[in-house]
Amino acid sequence: MKTAKVFRQIGRHLVLLFLACLWLVPILWLVVTSFGVDKGPNLSTFFPAAYTLDHYKAILFPGSDTVSQFPRWFLNTFTIAVFTCIISSMFVLMVAYAMSCMRFKARKPLMNIAIIMNLFPGFLSMIAVYFIMKNLNLTNSMTGMVIVYSAGAGLGYLIAKGFFDTISKSLREAAYLEGANEFTVFWKIIIPLSKPIIVYTVINSFLAPWMDFIFASIMLNSGVSAQKTVALGLFAMVDKVNRNNYFAQFCAGGVIVSIPISVLFIIMQKFYVEGITGGSVKG
Amino acid sequence: MERSKAIKQAAVPAKRPGLVRFFASIGQYIAGVCRDFMEGDLWVKLSALLWGSSCAARGQYVKGALLTVLEAVLAYFIPVVFWPYMSKLNTLGTVQQQRVYNPDTRQNEFNDYDNSFLIMLFGVIGCVLLLIAVVLWLRNIRAARAVEVRAKEGKHVNSFREDLTDCFGVKFHRTLLTLPVLGVACFTIIPLIVMILIAFTNYDRNHLVPAKLFTWVGMGNFELLFNMTADSTFAYAFGRVLAWTMIWAVLATFTCYFGGILLAMFINNKKTRGKKFWRTCFMVAIAVPQFVSLLLVRNFFADAGIVNTLCKNAGLTDWLYSIGAIPTANYIPFLTHPAWARPMIILINIWVGVPYQMLIATGILMNIPNELLESARIDGANAWQSFKSITMPYILFITGPSLVNSIVGNINNFNVIYLLSKDVYTTSDQLMANANANEVDLLVTWLYRLTQDQSNYKMASVIGILVFIVCAILTLLAFNRMIKGDKEENFQ
Amino acid sequence: MKKILALVLALAMALSLGSCALAEDVSLRVWVGDNQDIDWINTVIENFKAAYPENNYNIEVGVQNEGDCSKVVLTDPTAAADVFTFADDQFNSLMNGGALQPVVENAEEIIANNTPESIAAATGSDGMLYAYPATADNGYFMFYNKEYFTEEDVQTLDGMLAKAAEAGKYVGFPMSNGWYFYSWFKGAGLEMHVNEDGVTNSCNWNATDTPITGVQVLEALLEIAANPGFKEADSDPFVAGVKDGSIIAGVSGTWNANVAAEAWGDNYAATKLPTYTVAGQQVQMASFSGFKLVGVNPYSANLGAAMDFATFMTNEQSQVLRFEMRRQGPSNVKALEADSVKAEPAIAAIIAQAPYADVQRVGQKFWDTAAALGKIVVNGNPDGTDLQTLLDNCVAGITAPAEQ
Repeated sequence: MKTAKVFRQIGRHLVLLFLACLWLVPILWLVVTSFGVDKGPNLSTFFPAAYTLDHYKAILFPGSDTVSQFPRWFLNTFTIAVFTCIISSMFVLMVAYAMSCMRFKARKPLMNIAIIMNLFPGFLSMIAVYFIMKNLNLTNSMTGMVIVYSAGAGLGYLIAKGFFDTISKSLREAAYLEGANEFTVFWKIIIPLSKPIIVYTVINSFLAPWMDFIFASIMLNSGVSAQKTVALGLFAMVDKVNRNNYFAQFCAGGVIVSIPISVLFIIMQKFYVEGITGGSVKG
Repeated sequence: MERSKAIKQAAVPAKRPGLVRFFASIGQYIAGVCRDFMEGDLWVKLSALLWGSSCAARGQYVKGALLTVLEAVLAYFIPVVFWPYMSKLNTLGTVQQQRVYNPDTRQNEFNDYDNSFLIMLFGVIGCVLLLIAVVLWLRNIRAARAVEVRAKEGKHVNSFREDLTDCFGVKFHRTLLTLPVLGVACFTIIPLIVMILIAFTNYDRNHLVPAKLFTWVGMGNFELLFNMTADSTFAYAFGRVLAWTMIWAVLATFTCYFGGILLAMFINNKKTRGKKFWRTCFMVAIAVPQFVSLLLVRNFFADAGIVNTLCKNAGLTDWLYSIGAIPTANYIPFLTHPAWARPMIILINIWVGVPYQMLIATGILMNIPNELLESARIDGANAWQSFKSITMPYILFITGPSLVNSIVGNINNFNVIYLLSKDVYTTSDQLMANANANEVDLLVTWLYRLTQDQSNYKMASVIGILVFIVCAILTLLAFNRMIKGDKEENFQ
Repeated sequence: MKKILALVLALAMALSLGSCALAEDVSLRVWVGDNQDIDWINTVIENFKAAYPENNYNIEVGVQNEGDCSKVVLTDPTAAADVFTFADDQFNSLMNGGALQPVVENAEEIIANNTPESIAAATGSDGMLYAYPATADNGYFMFYNKEYFTEEDVQTLDGMLAKAAEAGKYVGFPMSNGWYFYSWFKGAGLEMHVNEDGVTNSCNWNATDTPITGVQVLEALLEIAANPGFKEADSDPFVAGVKDGSIIAGVSGTWNANVAAEAWGDNYAATKLPTYTVAGQQVQMASFSGFKLVGVNPYSANLGAAMDFATFMTNEQSQVLRFEMRRQGPSNVKALEADSVKAEPAIAAIIAQAPYADVQRVGQKFWDTAAALGKIVVNGNPDGTDLQTLLDNCVAGITAPAEQ
């Protein structure tokens, strides 16, 4: 009986170990390739023949290679991400509060419109967005990217609304009785109680500019390297022409980008989970 | 008081069909405006011309001034800036570009040509502005009359300061929603209207702006998609792509969903040691940006990639060839043969999606009331029984509705398929190739490649509309089944 | 009245002359096709500034993959670079989209300086020159490893496949790629080219009344693809195979010359495409010649300067420099004369293939459809579809009307 239990205990951990390996093998390949001597994808062995820091040096200190401007891309993306994150988080929380805690005539129609908008593929409209931005003279600019990423943020209010729905109504009513207006309730009562959903929204909107290459590739069409975002720059490194010379640098770039994101995720894990589970109650 | 009334009104069951009701209410509204206009005093009548005049007459000077400024802005922009475009909406332009090289200035000189796309774009913006202007105009007359009545009855008329206070009080929703709605309107709704209209034009590689014009073709593009003629293969490709999109959406959603829940339960089990460590292992996979991990995996599983080298060395490739599972003995076509690529893509999607779902499921599992599980255990339920009758229903109750959203999300899940098949996948289905589609394409990736590679905006737009219809039908069906009525009030 | 007019004209002349004398700030944006062209283009820019000292040029360099250039340019030509490099397969799309400025000032000079083939690739259906030829090495040919093949062997594909199979190695060919796939049919005398309209194609690959029929070509291809010495190998698998030694010969272009030269060392060699057996006879494989062209954006704010730069970027000096720095074969007649150029095996192979090479005149509908047929050949026609049907489907797709 007892030995069977021990075996099951070991088996359980072996299965987990196996799954974890499956999940980590490609990541491991990413890391070892970034340290390997090959410039292109290493095709013959899993681990490179020898290790070097050259690719990190090449990507962090580009020197005369005006094409890979990774530090510049990183800075661009970081700037865009910070502003996007501030604006979209505000939009999401504002809309969520209005939809969850207030009742007004246009509420249902607006919610229905939001549902309908979410059913269209997002980039269907990218050409039109591009020409709007071009006429505002905002293509190839960071301001333009921030607008593109954050203007429609209000549509993603559902999870935050779900979270606000779970906050007890009596709290707000007590505040109204004490003479608080809606703004005070929003700012002094709801927001302080919503740390998880704020973290969730902030992380999600902060990550968007790091992940997107569709809108970036159409809005940043000058071809000038210094204006690119990380996603766009790294994406170009693995196209047909460049792959054999830049794949390892692509991996190095991927590792560098992943580090801050991993740290963010691991630190904020608890809030993130609370936010999404609280919010998805109502989907 | 106001609030409960609004809810009651909404709860009255609809007797007439929606559209009829809609137009009837518009008619009533306009009739109301007319009545107000006729019954109102001189200031009300004047406010139809000069928006702020009535406000000014009741002492609301700031509000009146603001309204008049708004009116002036609209009155300038609509006729001066947008009308030149709006007036050409019926033809989308008639003057084709002509350019002549001027050797003296060494520049091209262009005629005053029409740009069909800009006509479409600014025409639509102009129409939307016009609509807004009309609505504001009508509302303003009604409001002017209402204030007049209040003033006559001796009731209090709000000062500007009070209006401002309202913006943070009963009308706080307006303050909150203005900017987000404006953003959505300008950068989502208007572009979407434009792109929907493109479906009814011949905007393709033979009619690219600014050098050429495009024009309306009615339902022609839809006919092309549904009419299977000898050399139109869009209908064939559309059927195939749609079928695979649905299979993909369902499989991708459910594999990730249940995979995530199982993994979360496995890790959260009391007997598992080092829960945090295991969770972190899987989280690392989320932390790598999706496009990096997908492009990486594409190279990982490429025909000449590392996995193939390892399989070849291990003899797996030869064995698979000997049993006829792969067409050549040289490599395993992980991402290049439909029979292999489709399952591989779903597996890779599990790799990408399960950790995320695990995170969500972990949160929910932690919230399950412990007493429930305890009492089940005392009643003698084994692990499977308590999973089946307590854990799973609980998770389903909480995340069920979001499943519909994830299916819609997966129908539009562009990244996984596009990044895994770009430059790699070549179809061997001739009819699909003739429509620039392939076996692993989703509707959205097909759409994207039609615009980017083929400049075939009209068909892309048609497909976009059909994606919407598919998603809408799914959502309606699911919501009718799963969520009867709005539970939100009783939830709070 | 006339006097006044003359006076005004003279004044205007004087003014314009005067402004010429002042150093003007001119901004240009230039796209090259490859990260590795950067050093070359920077040198060219320095030379250009030295050659045109009267203006202050501010030239920004961007990289835009030559193979995708037309997609980006056509999305919004007014936002594209002033001067851009593209592969000649996109010439039609760009010209039809109105994104190429005709060479109006120095067409005779350009025509005289470059090879007739490269000029043909840059000439529109209206007979006007629309682009500046930059290289003439963008076609494909046969790389081989002298350790395994003699010069005799590489004359016929059958010989090569037999040798490779014997050695347990492969001859690589990118079968499921329309650009290469053209080679077989054209070699057997079947035609495929774009129509006058510049959009739709004509194609007789399914012909049954030609000396060699389409079905016979397809039969020959299925046989070749099934040969143990044959390997389907587009660029990536080719590079991988050359590096690990499994591919000892293959069809590719100058962009992979370095890889082959490094891997094979002194045994590195290149030659024209071989002949292959179809319907019992040996036919020479044809090919597309390939050129890199430089286009000038007609919407450029500094069109004159852009044309000056495009001319300079493709002149003899810049092409020689390009060869020295990037080993890319010139289209300039004088630059081609240099011994160092002729000694380069890849360029010699291109020149040897030239008599059998066609300028690409292909409508967009060709590529995906031809690739699909190639893929079917690679898979050995697993469904057993009638070959004539395969060809009919293929031709229907290639020649599909423009509305689709």
